[in-house]
Amino acid sequence: MPTRSPARLIIALSVAAVLAVFLVYTALAGGSTPQLTPSQLAGHTGKVSAVGAVVGPLLGDSHSAAGLRFGLKNITGKSAVVPVVYHGDKPPPLFAVGRHVVVSGSYANGKVTGTDILTKCPSKYQASKPTA
Amino acid sequence: MADLGRAALAVTLLLSVYALVVGSYAAFSNRRRLATSARNALLCAFGSTLLAAGILASALYRHDFSFVYVAQHTNRTLSRAYSLSAFWGGQEGSLLLWLLVLTGYGALAVLVNRRLLRDLIAWVVPVIAGIATFFAVVLVAVASPFGTQTTPVDGVGLTPSLQNPYMVAHPPMLYLGYVGLSIPFAFAAGALLSGNTDERWIVATRRWTLAAWMFLGLGQLIGSHWAYVEVGWGGYYAWDPVENAALMPWLAATAFLHSVMIQERKGMLKVWNMVLVALAFELSIFGTFLTRSGIVQSIHSFSQSSIGGWFLGFVVLSSLFAVGLILWRLPLLKARTKLESALSREATFLYNNLLLVALCLTILWGVLFPIVTQLFRGETRTIGRPYYDFFLRGFGLPLLLLMGIGPLIAWRRTSWRALLRVLAWPIGVALVAGIALVAAGAGSSKPGLIAYTFSAFVLATIAVELIRGTRVTGSLFVLISRNRRRYGGYVVHAAVVLAAIGIAGSSAFGHTVERRLALGQSMKIDGYTLTNRGVRVTPKANVVETRAILAVTGRWNGTVESGSNQYLNPPEPSQEVGIKTDWWRAQDLYVIADDLNVNTQVIYTKVLVKPLVNLLWIGGVVFLFGSLIALWPDAREQRRLVTRLAPARA
Amino acid sequence: MNVTVLVLGILLAAGVVVVVALPFLREPQVSDDRLDAPTADEERRLTLREERDRALAALRELEFDHRTGKITDEDYRRDLGPLRRAAAGALKRIDDAELPPEE
Repeated sequence: MPTRSPARLIIALSVAAVLAVFLVYTALAGGSTPQLTPSQLAGHTGKVSAVGAVVGPLLGDSHSAAGLRFGLKNITGKSAVVPVVYHGDKPPPLFAVGRHVVVSGSYANGKVTGTDILTKCPSKYQASKPTA
Repeated sequence: MADLGRAALAVTLLLSVYALVVGSYAAFSNRRRLATSARNALLCAFGSTLLAAGILASALYRHDFSFVYVAQHTNRTLSRAYSLSAFWGGQEGSLLLWLLVLTGYGALAVLVNRRLLRDLIAWVVPVIAGIATFFAVVLVAVASPFGTQTTPVDGVGLTPSLQNPYMVAHPPMLYLGYVGLSIPFAFAAGALLSGNTDERWIVATRRWTLAAWMFLGLGQLIGSHWAYVEVGWGGYYAWDPVENAALMPWLAATAFLHSVMIQERKGMLKVWNMVLVALAFELSIFGTFLTRSGIVQSIHSFSQSSIGGWFLGFVVLSSLFAVGLILWRLPLLKARTKLESALSREATFLYNNLLLVALCLTILWGVLFPIVTQLFRGETRTIGRPYYDFFLRGFGLPLLLLMGIGPLIAWRRTSWRALLRVLAWPIGVALVAGIALVAAGAGSSKPGLIAYTFSAFVLATIAVELIRGTRVTGSLFVLISRNRRRYGGYVVHAAVVLAAIGIAGSSAFGHTVERRLALGQSMKIDGYTLTNRGVRVTPKANVVETRAILAVTGRWNGTVESGSNQYLNPPEPSQEVGIKTDWWRAQDLYVIADDLNVNTQVIYTKVLVKPLVNLLWIGGVVFLFGSLIALWPDAREQRRLVTRLAPARA
Repeated sequence: MNVTVLVLGILLAAGVVVVVALPFLREPQVSDDRLDAPTADEERRLTLREERDRALAALRELEFDHRTGKITDEDYRRDLGPLRRAAAGALKRIDDAELPPEE
């Protein structure tokens, strides 16, 4: 019976291997995307995720060259409305004026160019007003 | 009636506190009658919770809109069945369901084990009571399902996309899993508190853990299936934080199910098992914290809710408790034997554990990243799909390979020569499969090809095991019933392999084409030709259905319809995709028609061909089957347990 | 509030109190109120039996793995001796402790 258990060595090597994989990934991959509210967008350029409430009117069509155009404002508190131009799959039927969304894409020249929209399910877990 | 409901929950709270305080004192000072009294309090807590649940269920069934909760989640036109399912459709009701399952499981676990391991059970009662106390406090003081109002004319109703059999089954199934993980945690804590740190708590909770793990797995598959057919973006898993919230405890529980086998045999990994069971439990609470708090952006989560703070506090408190307990009892958790060789089944289980936990922690990091960056950099940053896909492959593919090696490698130690001899056939099968796959064009995706080849390897090893075993015992049935845990486990492995093939096929080898089609115009994808035959609007009782009709020719001849529904009460839309499962070619033709113009009959359509995706759902059925085999009670083993662990004194 | 509901509530509360107090109502006086934890003797017997079962199970598994070809003849011969000795030792220790046969 060997006097020293190889367990410790195995664990140390495995942990090292995992860390190596992790480091390789973070070195090679693009990394993360900042998630900002409309009021925080100013000053940023490049990849962003904008979280906000949809402001109408909804114009155009996401499949056309001009894209689907709408506005985005802060969910809580006052903010200016940031224009969004979205190209891609038609947003799910839940997407409507007033809904909370996360638009992923890029921000430049005061405008968000979106490639993906996540529409949040209207509150299951929060009190909505019951009809009187 | 709402008053009675509130009172019932208050009683549950009182009883839980009693069981917690008095139970702890009784266990600490070794007082039998007091310990039994605490246990009885826990049983009564189940009773009063059941009463509260019954009152809410009755109010939902009767559409009693004087209950705020009923008005918020049902309306007059909602069917009775869906009205009942609204029980878990909202915050307060789902918390009540959690408490019901917790007290129910707790009562059953302590009753079934009441003659065994009495000193351990004496501590299990206050631990379960402690968890129940938290939920009872939240239900009584923070989120009561029994708020009342002047009765409105009608309720708000249930979101149409939740009016679906899958969505009815999904939350209860998940809760049976999440809450089920509290039981092994409570027994582990009981073992540490009573100083009984050998394997008996593991043996006593073996089936509980397996059942909880099974329900959690099935709950996730049901949710994925719903996402695939109802939400309709063409996928089934989006690495959304709330989806991850269920996956993480499941991975930790999978690791735990494997490593306890090592502890039972060799008395090793005692500390590791304690850490794992605590991790699985904490992740299940953390998961529900993520869903309810709104702290990370998710399709499921909502504006910041105060309830998040309560859950976070509970996670922190219970984690400190678990860590403190393990550190205190560390001297009692010394291993009985050592790992003898890096090439042994014990070592394979260890590697499997490391990979599972690594995957679990990588997902946790991805979920926490926005919170961490906000705290330390003042800016929220999110991590996208590529991160998760990378690590799923990086850790998942080796795990797939280990699933094949583990069952065939010997305990204690073996040599490379012996191992290769035993794996000769499966390796051969994998090589042949790999070559055939490359010839068939699967080389277009390397990870996909590797996944397929490894899958072939694992299926071959399972076949080898079953064939060789049947040769010895003479009958497959006898082989399986003699060692249900092992062979049930192999069936579960086969299920995981089927799922892996399904995932690899649909993600690595699928195709997508999108087109705007005028009336009569066609598009081609993968040997199918789809032609726009117009848009049809069908008004019905509570819904207006708009569908694009597409005629399909080529590999299959028929019609697929896709479009959307607009419901009247509540006034909400839903996307309706068209899915044609081509069993012969083992693929799905998935049609998403959005942007339907009724006047011009022009449609925009996105068509996906998803190879082998149905193996994921078939794998789910096999998973259930394998879990049931492993769960099947063994009368002989039970008798031995009872005579062994019940003391001579009655 | 409904009278029926009130009465029902009171009855249930009374029931709960009875059930929780039951151990004391059943045995108002008792000589030994300690938890039935195993005595040192019982604990030892338990450990010996568990040890024996583990050793026998390991032997059975060695046999089965050898018959299904997972273990080479060489490894089988190498491991059989020590496992047999471990099992024999466990059985002997049980005999020495003069334990009653299990029901």
